[in-house]
Amino acid sequence: MISLTINNQTLEVPDGSTVLQAAEMAGIAIPTLCFHKDLSPYGGCRLCVVEVQGTRLPMTSCILPINPGMVVNTESEALTRYRKAILRMLLQNYYDAGYKRNNGKLGIDRENELAHWAEVYGIDIEQYMAKKPAFAVDSDPNPFVWVDLNKCIQCTRCVRACAEIQGRFVWSQSYRGYKARIVAGSDTTMLQARCESCGACVAYCPTGALDNKMSVSAGLADRLVRTTCAYCGVGCQLDLNVQDNVPGRRVIRVTSNTDPATVNKRHLCLKGRYGYDFIHSSTRLTQPRVRQYLLDSAPRPKDRGKWVDVDWETALRVAANGLVQAWQAGGSDAIGILGSGNLLNEESYLLGKLARQVIGTNQIDCCAHIYASDLSEHLLDAAGIPAMQNPFDEIASKAGTLLVIGSNLTEQHPVFGAKIRQAILRRKIKMVVVSPDFFNIAEYAALPLYPKPNTEAILVQGLIHFILEKHLADHAKCQMGSEDITKLKEAVAKYSARKTSDLTGVAIDALYEAAEILTREPPLSVIMSDGLADRTVARQNMQSLINLQRLLGSLDTPGGGVNFLGSQNNIRGAGDLGSTPNRLPGYQNCKNSTARAKFEQAWGVALSSAPGLSAWDMLKSVSEGKVKALYIAGEDALNVSPDGGQARRSLDACEFVVYQTSVATETARYADVLLPGVTFAEKTGSFTNAERRIQMVHQAIEPIGAASPDWQIFKELAKRILPSIERQISPAAYSNWDYTDTAEIMQEIAALTPIYYGVSHSRLDQAGSLFWPVESEEHPGTTFLQTAYFEPIQNTFIPIKLIVPEGYQTPILTPV
Amino acid sequence: MCPGIATDHEYSEQELDRIIQEAVEANGSVRDAVIPILSEINQKLGFIPVESLGKIRRYINTPEAGLFLADSHLYAVASFYQMFSLTPTGKHVVRYCASAPCHVEGGRQVIEALQEQLGLQPGETSHDNQWTLLKTSCLGVCGVGPVFLVDQDIYGNVTPEKIPHILAKYR
Repeated sequence: MISLTINNQTLEVPDGSTVLQAAEMAGIAIPTLCFHKDLSPYGGCRLCVVEVQGTRLPMTSCILPINPGMVVNTESEALTRYRKAILRMLLQNYYDAGYKRNNGKLGIDRENELAHWAEVYGIDIEQYMAKKPAFAVDSDPNPFVWVDLNKCIQCTRCVRACAEIQGRFVWSQSYRGYKARIVAGSDTTMLQARCESCGACVAYCPTGALDNKMSVSAGLADRLVRTTCAYCGVGCQLDLNVQDNVPGRRVIRVTSNTDPATVNKRHLCLKGRYGYDFIHSSTRLTQPRVRQYLLDSAPRPKDRGKWVDVDWETALRVAANGLVQAWQAGGSDAIGILGSGNLLNEESYLLGKLARQVIGTNQIDCCAHIYASDLSEHLLDAAGIPAMQNPFDEIASKAGTLLVIGSNLTEQHPVFGAKIRQAILRRKIKMVVVSPDFFNIAEYAALPLYPKPNTEAILVQGLIHFILEKHLADHAKCQMGSEDITKLKEAVAKYSARKTSDLTGVAIDALYEAAEILTREPPLSVIMSDGLADRTVARQNMQSLINLQRLLGSLDTPGGGVNFLGSQNNIRGAGDLGSTPNRLPGYQNCKNSTARAKFEQAWGVALSSAPGLSAWDMLKSVSEGKVKALYIAGEDALNVSPDGGQARRSLDACEFVVYQTSVATETARYADVLLPGVTFAEKTGSFTNAERRIQMVHQAIEPIGAASPDWQIFKELAKRILPSIERQISPAAYSNWDYTDTAEIMQEIAALTPIYYGVSHSRLDQAGSLFWPVESEEHPGTTFLQTAYFEPIQNTFIPIKLIVPEGYQTPILTPV
Repeated sequence: MCPGIATDHEYSEQELDRIIQEAVEANGSVRDAVIPILSEINQKLGFIPVESLGKIRRYINTPEAGLFLADSHLYAVASFYQMFSLTPTGKHVVRYCASAPCHVEGGRQVIEALQEQLGLQPGETSHDNQWTLLKTSCLGVCGVGPVFLVDQDIYGNVTPEKIPHILAKYR
């Protein structure tokens, strides 16, 4: 600690602090422009000048390290004079074109820090700013980022944001003196300079020289609504900028906020920051629809016939009737329910309750599992946990080595991908990327491996073989008993380097190098995603990675672990809360009578102990006539399929399909009833991200048209099915469906789901987020999840029945 | 960078590749080698074709080892230094010192004579691509001002009368 005096106030600050940081600790604000606390200090604008006793000239506080006994003064007449002069000089090169639609008014679009300080120091912008523009307005064709260099004050925050946050290095400050300006790449367009349009440069630009193109001239927001992004499992927090003075209210912009407690802080990706136009898309479904034949009680035409817009009452009645008829014809299991990783936690819970309590079946799965296997389930089998062990930041800050396998990290989970890039640049850790194709993240790989599709597990066997042969694993750290190591040795014995190379197509040298890299710097963090989820090999992929991690002793280690990131934003929550064919909420097995008894008591009805069919098998058994009705909620079942043929045939053959969606997609062609759900902007509830972090989703606007929050549709549908279905439901604590809001549903979830026990909306609002397991109302949540949390692990070695796929060969794309 | 530039300066792709490869071999594929490599290209070709930046990047950029070198970094360096040109120059480049010490020693007369005899304004290249005239900051030989450079050769104590003789060496 070092002691100094600022404005007559003496304080102690940590070594290495700057004067600006010390002032902040003392609660003293110093004006800044080029400084941002998320970025490295630059000292370019000099607005943060302070007087330091013993120096002749004012000093730039953002880059001034503290010396013991320093005496600093942050406000004086002279400093005000300096700052005014600096602002006037900055304004000389600043020109605000007052974009037409703003009626010529300046600075109306967004926060402008330069305008703010000019106002604070009483400087009239219009008087001092440049008299004419030096650059074309909107000078870059990037579809998302608006560039107006007339407003640029050379603070280089964009340069630093692109380098230090996104890791893409698009911007530089080029030329010098009067000619100095911000340049993308080698003075090309942003996209040619490899811009990923994440908008970090926009988020950090203090003046609006870089702005959100979709929102330029949209004016200021009336309200900011903090919510959770609905795109991927990273779960970024964002602010929906809402204008109230337009019919139905409108989301005009997405911004991000520097809140250190969030996953993303100020960062977002292209999807989160700019992919919000679907909310107000003209393709939104705004009215329930049923097929004409259903209203006429006529037989179903082959193409299901004409759509008719109807009111909610009619649509719900028709939907309930169809499902009840299937139930009467084929029993509970004649109905298949496809949930989604896009639904709220509360909605996934209700959909599970609808399946299990009302219909009496476990036949519920996520659309995501139509073609991909549920890797969470395999992880549960192999390691006794269904989800990531580590939070993202823990991996980025503590992993010794990275193995990214089956994950297009920077596209699937872009904000986490950016954190990994920074970890490699700053901590100089090594990464091996394994995928059949070139993925962007492989650019940062010390070694990219391109095995033939579905041979990843074989590759891992080969790596284990070599690690054992060369004694590369640290014996002291190994998490396997010596007997198990012997078994492992036997199991991988036949995967010699040559054999592995033949089967996977990876060169022998590369295998050796990979084994060496992966064992050099513990802990190894395995990052994986749906690239490993092919139904035929998903199980062996997960098992072999767990074996590898046990051998290396990287399981149950902060920064290590096997970290599975699902593809959808709330696929974690959907799995947590029962959108799986064999598990009740909280991963309680439906075969377990104790777990079942708890739900039977709460819901007032006997539950089925038979696991339902997985999404894939559900669709297959439609053709066999076993599943007669499908209820698809929240997702385009066809769009998740790499090969839609089978799904199309199944849906076409299905007698009755209810499709609940916010946008009418191709799946709608195969539906008999369309129920208009809403987007994440129109409902309140919670999402759980890949790192098990539960976060609030807040409603920003009213539902569009007659669309209704999905949980309300589940509730109304359940109420209409219940009277006509012959199931004995007796009054119990949670037997009814009279929910008034999702907070009430969360209370029910908490009561029945041990890992969500201490979760409530009020707590989430207060804490920002909670990592499950949250075992009590006082429990702070669990950032690091030990293996075997849910199920005890019998053996530290998992024997694997390996399937060796043959005949695949894909071309490998190479980096540009 | 400047008006009146020649656009038909010829070099082959192979030539550029060879220059870069040799420069990288001589200076190493490290960040510190950027300026010597750019310098080498500029000397051999008279300017730095913008596509050479991507070629240099491919040698030096090693994100897997914690070093990210992007086109933007290279462009920032190449556009910053006056000794580098990103646009084609004439066969010979005349750089006259425009700093104060040369000015007080009669620099203005020298500049005017240069402009007149070459028929060029600062920043321009002659139509036959023989000459480019540029102004530069102090060359560090103020003791013999006025000073100008023709390519790599420096001339001190220049008077307007000496200029034809100097230029004649390069015609």
